[in-house]
Amino acid sequence: MVNTLSKKSQVEIVATPVIIDFKDFTFQFPEDESPVFRNISFSIQAGERVALYGPSGCGKSTLLYLMNRLYPDNCDGDLEGSITLWQRDAACFAPGEINHRVATVFQDPDTQFCMPTVEQEMAFTLENLHVTRPEMEHRITETLEMTGLTQFRKTTIQTLSGGMKQRVATACAILMQPEVLLLDEPLAHLDPLTAKHYVEWLDTLKWSYPLTIVAVEHQLDLWGTFFDRAIHVRASGDLPIELNPTKPCITFPKRVSAIQPEVALEAKNVHVHVKGKQLLKDVSFQLQRGEIAVLAGPNGSGKSSLLKTICGILKKSDGTIKSGTMLPGYVPQSPEQLFVTQRVKDEIRFSNNTKEEEITDIMTRLRLNEIEQAHPFSVSHGQKRRVAIGTMLSDKRPVLLLDEPTSGQDEAALKELFHLINARAKEGFAILIVTHDMTFAAAIADTIFLMNHGQLTGRFDNDVMWLQEKLLEKHQLVAPIGVCLHD
Amino acid sequence: MTSRTWLHDMNPSLKFIIVLVSMLTLAWFFNPWTPLLFFLGVILLQLLFSRVNWKVWSLFMIPIAFTAIGYLWTTLLFAADTSGHVIWTWGKFEVTNTQWNTALSLSFRVFAFSSMSLLFALTTDPVKFVMSLMQQLRLSPKLAYGVMVGYQFLPVVKDEFILIRHAHRLRGVGEEKHVWQRLLGMRRLLIPLLAGAVRRAERSAFAMEARGFTGERRSAYYEPISINARDWLLATIIMVLLIGSGVAGFLLH
Repeated sequence: MVNTLSKKSQVEIVATPVIIDFKDFTFQFPEDESPVFRNISFSIQAGERVALYGPSGCGKSTLLYLMNRLYPDNCDGDLEGSITLWQRDAACFAPGEINHRVATVFQDPDTQFCMPTVEQEMAFTLENLHVTRPEMEHRITETLEMTGLTQFRKTTIQTLSGGMKQRVATACAILMQPEVLLLDEPLAHLDPLTAKHYVEWLDTLKWSYPLTIVAVEHQLDLWGTFFDRAIHVRASGDLPIELNPTKPCITFPKRVSAIQPEVALEAKNVHVHVKGKQLLKDVSFQLQRGEIAVLAGPNGSGKSSLLKTICGILKKSDGTIKSGTMLPGYVPQSPEQLFVTQRVKDEIRFSNNTKEEEITDIMTRLRLNEIEQAHPFSVSHGQKRRVAIGTMLSDKRPVLLLDEPTSGQDEAALKELFHLINARAKEGFAILIVTHDMTFAAAIADTIFLMNHGQLTGRFDNDVMWLQEKLLEKHQLVAPIGVCLHD
Repeated sequence: MTSRTWLHDMNPSLKFIIVLVSMLTLAWFFNPWTPLLFFLGVILLQLLFSRVNWKVWSLFMIPIAFTAIGYLWTTLLFAADTSGHVIWTWGKFEVTNTQWNTALSLSFRVFAFSSMSLLFALTTDPVKFVMSLMQQLRLSPKLAYGVMVGYQFLPVVKDEFILIRHAHRLRGVGEEKHVWQRLLGMRRLLIPLLAGAVRRAERSAFAMEARGFTGERRSAYYEPISINARDWLLATIIMVLLIGSGVAGFLLH
């Protein structure tokens, strides 16, 4: 598909005006040695819905920030070539001027708001635009009605779920009556079902004027038929375009189960009460050596609490947990929360009960030698996770618990994670993963545990579960693509 | 009783100025009566014009009472000025009336100051206070909204602090027996916490800028905060109380 239809798009350019145009554009961050982009060209027309896609770190978000003029002013980047917005050189716009015409929704639901309630946040936006008081009232009411958020008008934003926060952020963007709406991976922090609902919601909004939507996204499969065009972001040249982009779904390699007969972890009738609240209720299960299990369920169902209880962070009120001589190891969603030293090397040695040759072995197996002198905070996200797993291996922990390792990861990162986990299973570690990504779960798991309201609601072998639509919906999960539900 | 909301509804900037003025004025009085009368007056004001939770108020007052007693005690013991006639002796230890007056004045002053601060703290919504500072006292919007973002961050930072502490516990950090060891361990928590905060701050700044925030003054407010007649009335009442207790203290002394 790529590039074959570029002639057709040439014809469309005549019909609708080009509003964003990058020509022979080169951009470099001051701290980098080579440019992010070299001589790239692409354009976006009024009224289009365009996706910019590509792997993490390819510069998709940078392009977005160049469109809303957050860059180059906020990063002192060097640029060559031209960016033309509405047939005017982008550099000619006054500070803040372009933000009246281009509105942006960012990926992190928690850092987009500065006021307590939805209404105040919307008012903040309009005050920035110097709208008069009566007009504010009118526009806030109108936008809330259009987005179906009227009932949340006086709600405190921090009490809303991630999905609702993204809707509020979008409503604030719409409120500005922009000509272009930029979305910076708006689904990255949402679980698949919430993400699906967000896309459906955005798709059904009725626009009173032709709005251009540009989204940065690495997971096109969640968007269905939302986009007219997808622009593949590359480091140089004309960016290839795909019309009516299809969903490239991630295919993982097939894996062979490495389950060994010995039991690595056994939990029996575990209860956890914290401050009068019951977090876990009568949880019993066991993992064998080499087994990979996925723990899935809605937000707040107690998945993280279960992991923290098994590895001894949370105290259990009742029940027994057996895992040999060492407690299981735990890798949080942000692996850097585990780090306590200044160098990767020291981080692996921190526990002090591992022989030197074992450390060398761990460093080689996890490919940490190349970064052993680096500060654990300065390496990439994938490397941080490998360091975190390394610290757990050097502690000689027999079981690994991973909390949401798939959240916000692109295809390459997910595949790396797949190989990382698979290799540990082959070495005989039992692994328990909390994830919302059912495509990943289907590819890697031997066993799937479902959880709801602090209880384990079922144990399934991998292939059996996906056909039970009702069960999945009850646990707010979406079956992986490729599994047909209505057969 | 609608008057019970008056102090809560009072313009925060005006309230703030009044609190400052009262404190600066009280600092010039060295008799015990002025701060005592003022303290009692403030309590009366809160009874009449606010819905202060007296349980919370009392809890705040406990450490303050200790401080006040401490002042009283140390002034009696170590006062440099030992003039005046002796009113009480115990073994070698003598208390003169001057000493006693100064000591009482200091400890009542602690009560007066803190009751005034509590009056402000317990009846003022921090969000409204910042907005009012921006609208009445021309605080720059950049600073005002910066404070607002920080205020929104507090619960998030608290959650992250707990997560990091949990993760560190797993690695055997933060479980040390001695308090000083644990305090030293805190610096390990600081780096991940700050790293997270810096990243979050940048993202928030981007989000605000993308919504057209440039830091320039606003031309209209959605929730305008004004100073009305009742605010001036309350301000006058507090000023009368201040002057009244000043004069009374002067006469009674």
